[in-house]
Amino acid sequence: MKISIRIALALSGLLVVASSCKKFIDVKPELNISDELTIVDGNSAQTAVRGIYNQLQSNDYYGYTFQTLGLFSGDNVQYVGSQTVNQQLTNHTVLADLAAVGNSWAAIYNTINRANNVIAKVPALPVSATFTEALRNQLVGEAYFLRALSYFDLARTWGGVQLITTPTATAADQTTAKRSTVAETYAQVLRDLTQAETLLPNTTNRIRATRKTAYALHARVSLYQKDYTNAAAFATRLIEDTNYALIGPYNSFFPANATVTQESVLELQYNINVTNSQAYNWQPASNGGVGWVTPTATVASLLLNTSVSGNRNSLILTQTTGGVTRYFGNLYYRTAGTDPIYLIRIAELYLIRAEALAQLNDLAGATRDINAVRTRAGLAGTTATTQANLILAIEAENRLEFAFEDHRWYDLVRTGRANTVLGFSDPNKLLLPIPYAQLLIDSNLSQNPGY
Amino acid sequence: MEINIHVKKFYNHNFSDFFSLASIFALILFSLSVSGQEVKPSTINSQLVGKIIDVATKEPLPGVVVRIKGTTHAVATSADGSFSFRTGQSFPYTLFVSLIGYDSQEKRVDGSPVTISLKASANQLNDVVAVGYGTQRKSDLTGAVSKIKASETVKLPVASFDAQLQGRAAGVQINSNSGVPGEGTFVRVRGTTSINSSSEPLYVIDGVFLNNTSLQTTNLGGRTTSPLADINPADIESIEVLKDASATAIYGSRGANGVVLVTTKRGSFNAKTKVSLDVSTGWVEADKSTIPQLASGPESALLANEYWINSGIDRPALNQTFANRPFRPVSQGGAGLPEEQQTFDRIGDILQRGLIQDYNLSIQGGTDKSRFYVGAGYTDQKALIKVPQFQRTSLKFNYDHNLSDAISFGLTNSISKSDRNQARTGDGPQVNLWNAATSAATYTPKFALDGTSTGSDNIYVLIDNYDVNTTSLRYVGSAYAEAKIIDGLKFKSSFSLDYNHYDESAYWNSQTSIGRAVGGNATSSITQNSTWINEQTLTYIKNEGDHHFNALVGNSLQANVISLTAAEGSGFANDNFKLISSASTRTSSQNWSKYSLASFFGRFDYNYASRYYIGLSARADGSSKFGANNKWGYFPAVSGAWRLKQESFLKDAKWLSDLKLRASYGVTGNQAGIDNFAAQGLWTGGSSYPDVAGSPQPGIGPIQLGNPDLRWEKTAQTNLGFDLGLFENRISVTVDVYNKYTTGLLLQKPIAASSGFATYWANEGEMSNKGYEVGINTTNITNNNFSWKTSLNFSGNRNRIEKLPTQITQYTRDWVIMKEGYSMNSFWLYNQLAVDPQTGAPVFEGQAANGTVTTANRQILGDSYPKIFGGLSNSFTFKNFDLSFLFTFQAGNKSLNLNRYFRERNPTSGGVLANVLNRWQKPGDITDIPRLTSIGTNYTIDQSSRYLEDASFLRLKQLSFGYNLPGEFLKKIRLSQARFYFVGSNLFLITKYTGDPESSVTSNPNAQGLGSFGTPPQPRSFQFGLNITI
Repeated sequence: MKISIRIALALSGLLVVASSCKKFIDVKPELNISDELTIVDGNSAQTAVRGIYNQLQSNDYYGYTFQTLGLFSGDNVQYVGSQTVNQQLTNHTVLADLAAVGNSWAAIYNTINRANNVIAKVPALPVSATFTEALRNQLVGEAYFLRALSYFDLARTWGGVQLITTPTATAADQTTAKRSTVAETYAQVLRDLTQAETLLPNTTNRIRATRKTAYALHARVSLYQKDYTNAAAFATRLIEDTNYALIGPYNSFFPANATVTQESVLELQYNINVTNSQAYNWQPASNGGVGWVTPTATVASLLLNTSVSGNRNSLILTQTTGGVTRYFGNLYYRTAGTDPIYLIRIAELYLIRAEALAQLNDLAGATRDINAVRTRAGLAGTTATTQANLILAIEAENRLEFAFEDHRWYDLVRTGRANTVLGFSDPNKLLLPIPYAQLLIDSNLSQNPGY
Repeated sequence: MEINIHVKKFYNHNFSDFFSLASIFALILFSLSVSGQEVKPSTINSQLVGKIIDVATKEPLPGVVVRIKGTTHAVATSADGSFSFRTGQSFPYTLFVSLIGYDSQEKRVDGSPVTISLKASANQLNDVVAVGYGTQRKSDLTGAVSKIKASETVKLPVASFDAQLQGRAAGVQINSNSGVPGEGTFVRVRGTTSINSSSEPLYVIDGVFLNNTSLQTTNLGGRTTSPLADINPADIESIEVLKDASATAIYGSRGANGVVLVTTKRGSFNAKTKVSLDVSTGWVEADKSTIPQLASGPESALLANEYWINSGIDRPALNQTFANRPFRPVSQGGAGLPEEQQTFDRIGDILQRGLIQDYNLSIQGGTDKSRFYVGAGYTDQKALIKVPQFQRTSLKFNYDHNLSDAISFGLTNSISKSDRNQARTGDGPQVNLWNAATSAATYTPKFALDGTSTGSDNIYVLIDNYDVNTTSLRYVGSAYAEAKIIDGLKFKSSFSLDYNHYDESAYWNSQTSIGRAVGGNATSSITQNSTWINEQTLTYIKNEGDHHFNALVGNSLQANVISLTAAEGSGFANDNFKLISSASTRTSSQNWSKYSLASFFGRFDYNYASRYYIGLSARADGSSKFGANNKWGYFPAVSGAWRLKQESFLKDAKWLSDLKLRASYGVTGNQAGIDNFAAQGLWTGGSSYPDVAGSPQPGIGPIQLGNPDLRWEKTAQTNLGFDLGLFENRISVTVDVYNKYTTGLLLQKPIAASSGFATYWANEGEMSNKGYEVGINTTNITNNNFSWKTSLNFSGNRNRIEKLPTQITQYTRDWVIMKEGYSMNSFWLYNQLAVDPQTGAPVFEGQAANGTVTTANRQILGDSYPKIFGGLSNSFTFKNFDLSFLFTFQAGNKSLNLNRYFRERNPTSGGVLANVLNRWQKPGDITDIPRLTSIGTNYTIDQSSRYLEDASFLRLKQLSFGYNLPGEFLKKIRLSQARFYFVGSNLFLITKYTGDPESSVTSNPNAQGLGSFGTPPQPRSFQFGLNITI
């Protein structure tokens, strides 16, 4: 009897514990939260839109990697660091397994998914005194703008891509779509931009998308599409807006920790918690960087020649150690990682309109616009007089005006000049390869020709 | 009471959990202590006194268990070897006498007193071996278990005990990736079973599940510290490695990677108090054959010019010509001609003879009711390079007490403080100590003319200004109470805790590349990791004639909480202000994570006449980590053994001392290493962005897709083996073959990036590990003056990914790949067949006619796992001298020599290996080093097979030599034992690999074999010591 009591007691020790197991093994996260608790009201809708910008400015998108695809492919910027594999871009021998290609691709689609979440969920949220219909429209409009920008970047880098317009909630939501054509992809960009223009307020905000920002991107997209009339028309809306101005001299918009100057149409803002690696990669060791991304010898000599570049020589930092002189780019220099990333500057709108007008044979208008940019750089007016020469002059102006911004490669590609200027023959290399790993994962994807 | 003290420490846990646990525990203790007071009176029919001695030395043996056969009445001998019985049994009866390390004996006694001589066992068949939640005699084992006595390994100068086990246990592969003391070790028991979950074995020390995940947050270039280094190896008695499913299934969802059971030292009952002191000191230094050989200054400059000019020829647009080559006369604006360059030897300057010291004091003993062990240790290890240092102070206290015949309780406690001076090694250029020495061009002056440093990080500046420190405070302990309920039935309850307080700080002053531009940068973080376990077991042992039963059931609750608080500041007034409060910019972060595990387990062993054995075990685990649909998992195992030696037809075969066949099959699981919330769909709150220019506002974004079906990995393992003893066990052989097959791999399954995600956690993929293990121990010669013993083990394991939805690459540049049909850690490379003697361009297998390659040309060219590995040790004693040495070896493993990859390239940026002097220069040159140029594929294919090397090796891992002072002399100075010794490690190395073949730049277990870059090689060491016992 006593023995059985003892055994029963011991066994109950084993079993009492069992009864509370279910609760015991249920643990809730606190750092990241369940996806069921996300976009539910006005406040969370705002946080979700900020999350899209956060992804847009992440290291693999505009923060660094995506920009290097175009920069290294052009003839302004070279990579001299330990990952010599990046020289594949400069040599136009890119292999589909290049990490920068895959990382950029993924970062862009991540941005699209965040935008898709907002576009799918926010319009259905009820409005309130604090969450007005105008605010709701603005948030959805921003998401459309950011999705347009993302698809534009995909189209100009890889050609036509799979168009995903709904959010991914589970692994089963993976797309079964094939790649769209380039035209279809650009059509998606314009659809989103038009939506954004309808929904966004006509205000000025240099770090977030407004209707004006959408117009600016619309101008650029039109130029890429060779829709010169629209390119000029949309550029004009910004140029005539007194909130934007070509402030002089050239080094007014970036040095001395300048941000959101009148020059800026859209720039991405960083802070000590959200940083980018630009200064780290561009600046020499003496300034706390590694100096892996540097100007090419050619662009350095062009920029340092003030008769050609004017006061844009401020983009170059010259350093001599042990008798060897090296040139560094000085657009990004805030080694805390807080350099803004300049997406659209008013100077671009001038040059977009200049090129569009030149193409439309309005040479006077084109000359006026290119000279606006040259004057700001402290240079005399252009000497080009014929349509062809003027177009070349605009190309040269673009090269220096946006020497370290991600313009040169895409400009040469869209004007069909890349093979000639950069000295390689294979037209297939004007598009980058679809990431190798993605082809293995997604059987609906297909590789670009030549890779 | 002890329990309450622990409970207070768990402020992070849910109090109600504890309350119920503590009350259950108290209730059980109470009920048992009541029952313990009942002692039945018995009739005394005989009285027996006796003494047990060692047959060889005639010395008395304390702690021998003497039992009257057929009863449970047992006593232990006291310090002078004597025992006495008052028993209800009448003469004659049979005594069963046993002591660890001695052959057990049965002796018929017909009167008092008796003297019984015990013989030290030759083959340790009667050794007690720790198994899950208990012990077994080695001869009764049905599974595959390796036992290592710590006394053989303890003097190797590495901080953690796992690194000391290399070459000691069959089937256990151990590699030290770096020569920095206290860093993590790569350990695999019977291969790698997982891709994204951990494949590290489970560590259990005295029943406490030990955290083996580094708490490090400081960026050390991908290298991590070892949490096992917090344990003082000197306190360890023995280590058992449980390998097959029958041994590990009782650990259920954590058993798939093998289990390492660590047993620490305890005192003996009835033993005289023994005080022992061990002191040793010596040094570590570099093995020059593992150090990179850089080209001299003039040679490097010559190569730089050649690279410059060739690139200019290949692409005129670069404007790189002979006229503007970097090493042209100073008068032309250059850095001087190559032959004018000096050579600056940074590597020589960073290497050092690092002092190592080790002090251990232990006191152990016991009375008839209690026993204790107290150990205190201090270790100080410098490295073969300047800056890194590891110091550990530890205190160990183990105590057991018998309240009555029925009730006992005890404690194990270890407290340690590990201090590390750390330096960034591994990958990445900034403040990387070893890279700064090996990567700078030899012509670059150490200091510029104005005294400022040159290059990204000047090593002299680094050495002088390194200020990265970590202090790990660790408590590992448990309290148990055990009670006999009826004869053979025991209840045990325990509460244990592994608590680690990990305090890191780093200060980068304005001299360093991190601190330079921001006016100094400081980080500080505190990580707390606590695991508590409450465990109840019920064991029942019954012997009826030839039938022997042993059964166990139990349950446990376990929870782990890890929390982190970190701060960072930059912008200091000057280098003397070092604390974040003085920084002009400050940021902070916090993290918290928890998992819990509820388990039920049981085991049943039966043997008939020590001839036929059968074992069953099972465990059920419920884990918070898994999806709502799959929280619980069940893990059974079955095993059997047939001890042929006990059969009548072999019983009389004199030459055969033992023969046992073993077989087992079981299923175990794995859930280690995955995120605690891997199954849940998650959004991050860390995606801030401003609304208007200025302060950021909070933002959110999706970061993880959920998977409600997520569950553990399942590994089914079959094991067949035999144990053979010959010629009175002078030769003993253990052979095992196994087949492990893992299904439902915990995989971060790649998902199309167009979804916005890269991966999600899923159970996909299958992997197999098939292998064999052979262990041979021989006593070659043994007589009064001389003995020679040999121990050899070797093993082979073949890992194969049987199913994988898509190939997955690892590390930067995708050097390492996982692909169906191949081994883990395979190298994915462009196969360089030759360098074209006409053009100097590399020829890659499958390349197009114009020399271009595509990703489709990449192939798998070997992997980093050895085909065969093991160890050979010999030990000799001659009179008072002893000598032993251990060789360890691996063969068939490849390593990608990243030091060659980085330093056999662009000579205009940084140091270049002397090997590059063999580059192609003119048509007709036969070499594997392409013509120097930045253009084309010569040096822009990062994944060239040119850097892949055979990393097979044979090492003299340990050599020790000792002298014991003679007995007469010891008596005069009143010592019971004194030994002077020398221990050397890594004294020589035979390998074709150019560097340390075990090195790897990263602690990432799936990217092993990326060698020789960033991490210093393992050192040679020389130590002299004295061990005395009073």
